[in-house]
Amino acid sequence: MTPLAEMLLGWLRRALVGGAALLVPAGMRADWVREWQAEIWHVERSGAGARATTAFCLGAVQDAWCLWQHARGNRPRPASLHGSAGQCLLAMATVLAAAGLIAYLLPEARSATSALSAPARTGLIRIEKAGGERGGATSIPFEQFEAWSRGRQRYFDEMAFYRMSREIVLEGDSPKGGWKIAYATSNLFTLLGVPVRLENDGAAANGGMPAVIISDSMWRRAFGCDPDVVGRILRVGRREARIAGVAADRSWRLPGHVDAWVLEPEAAMAAHASGNVVAHLTSAGRAELWAGSVHITAYEPDDRELDLIGFSIGEEPASPLDLYGFALFLAFLSLPAITTVSLGEYSSSPHRPHWPRRIARWLYLGAKIALLLSIVYYVSIDLAYWRPFGGPYAADYIQMSSAFALCLGGMRWVLLDQRQRCPVCLRRVAHPAQVGLASRTFLAWNGTELVCGGGHTLLHVPGLPTSWFSTQRWLYLDASWDFLFAGGPDAG
Amino acid sequence: MAVDPKLSHTAAMILQALNAGYIYGFSVMEMTGLPSGTVYPALRRLERDELIRSHWERQSIADAEQRPARKYYRLTAAGKSTLEVSRKRYPLLERFIPAEEARSV
Repeated sequence: MTPLAEMLLGWLRRALVGGAALLVPAGMRADWVREWQAEIWHVERSGAGARATTAFCLGAVQDAWCLWQHARGNRPRPASLHGSAGQCLLAMATVLAAAGLIAYLLPEARSATSALSAPARTGLIRIEKAGGERGGATSIPFEQFEAWSRGRQRYFDEMAFYRMSREIVLEGDSPKGGWKIAYATSNLFTLLGVPVRLENDGAAANGGMPAVIISDSMWRRAFGCDPDVVGRILRVGRREARIAGVAADRSWRLPGHVDAWVLEPEAAMAAHASGNVVAHLTSAGRAELWAGSVHITAYEPDDRELDLIGFSIGEEPASPLDLYGFALFLAFLSLPAITTVSLGEYSSSPHRPHWPRRIARWLYLGAKIALLLSIVYYVSIDLAYWRPFGGPYAADYIQMSSAFALCLGGMRWVLLDQRQRCPVCLRRVAHPAQVGLASRTFLAWNGTELVCGGGHTLLHVPGLPTSWFSTQRWLYLDASWDFLFAGGPDAG
Repeated sequence: MAVDPKLSHTAAMILQALNAGYIYGFSVMEMTGLPSGTVYPALRRLERDELIRSHWERQSIADAEQRPARKYYRLTAAGKSTLEVSRKRYPLLERFIPAEEARSV
């Protein structure tokens, strides 16, 4: 055997024993490792050969496995928790925590959900020349915008200007591709109600460069979600601009897709450039709004009349919470189609559990539903904003469909689970036994009998619902049944 | 522990080997021809059932011989009586590992 092979086998032996040691219970591990190391030392010096020594080490894995199995078998199992309501709620809370953590760790999901805390500003209109195609390229000269913003307006209290352009973007010498750029006055985001803080009225502090805000999707695509992107300098067209932040895609509510916004002071805008004007209506302006639009007559610098039309900017696109709410509504509407909404609280006798137990049962159902709905929300967000499943446009559809399916399936499970919980201890009934024969349906009942592990109840579920036995029934067991259950009904 | 535990032939062989003086895992392996994956788990089980007892060799002895200390196994009183019962059940056991071969360590 070559020295290299011997060396590799030596590593393998150490890895085998080291890995196997992890299976050994912590209290015995040090002693176990010491014994195996001593034995291997002696085997190595017995002239057994490298292969035989390695085969000897395989025994360590078997030895550790046996110890692990024994420790596992001896581990006390919390019988009182097994199958109990607490175990179920704990499992659901764990799933919720995991789903919430994933949603927190996914940057897209975080930005989508955090947009909820910044509601869109209302009373905004986009001004176009009358007679043009709605949402098409409009041509309001910047000097016209300047004239309006200098003068006192009755219907508007704030205005912003932007123009769209396609530019080649570079970072140093590395090309970032052709981007759709919106050159805008520095107050555009403030006007739209998107919280972006800039220094020096849109020009970044260093060198008076314009600030560029990049879209969430471009940040992911061109910068690989780099958290240190702010402050880097891009060449946009023929000008340099400093990255000042990242904006969520859904925060842009104006027509057209934009990859980045270059924000610059009004003084830096080319006077002859034509673009779009966004304005915020005063209360008087809102009163003039009719069917989402308002006709405006303005005067050009040479006193020529200019017919304009202002279109109300649609409300913010449906937020994840809106989509979730709608999916929930649909799911609850569809629920009776896939399961009975009965909780199966029927008793074979007039006996009913005491009211604290009945309240506990309802509280348990409420807690389960609350946890389920929270899980559905976070899991649907996780799925929608998980990168392999598509871009921001697919996210809404994925969230909607997954929330619907999860809620429907989840609610079905919640009801089925509730129907199989002992009304006394909320433990799941178990040990199903087939009782009776289907051929004797008209002579005696046939179906499935389940028993509560705590010895409180028997659940009879008819195999074939009949007019005299159509739904499941609970049979409350009295003290005469105690001998069947270890430790009586209250035993764990 | 059961009053009269029925040992498997393998466990009985290991007990017999220990009784014959092969008192550490590798020597039991060499004597019985059983693989390490059988001998060491069996030693754990026998110790758990209180048929054998383990102890570490004194470090000074190991240091004097410039080797790591070994873990030795010895039969308990219960182990000896169980081995007696097993010998009746497996008569060839004693012939396979005779007590005369016992060696001191």
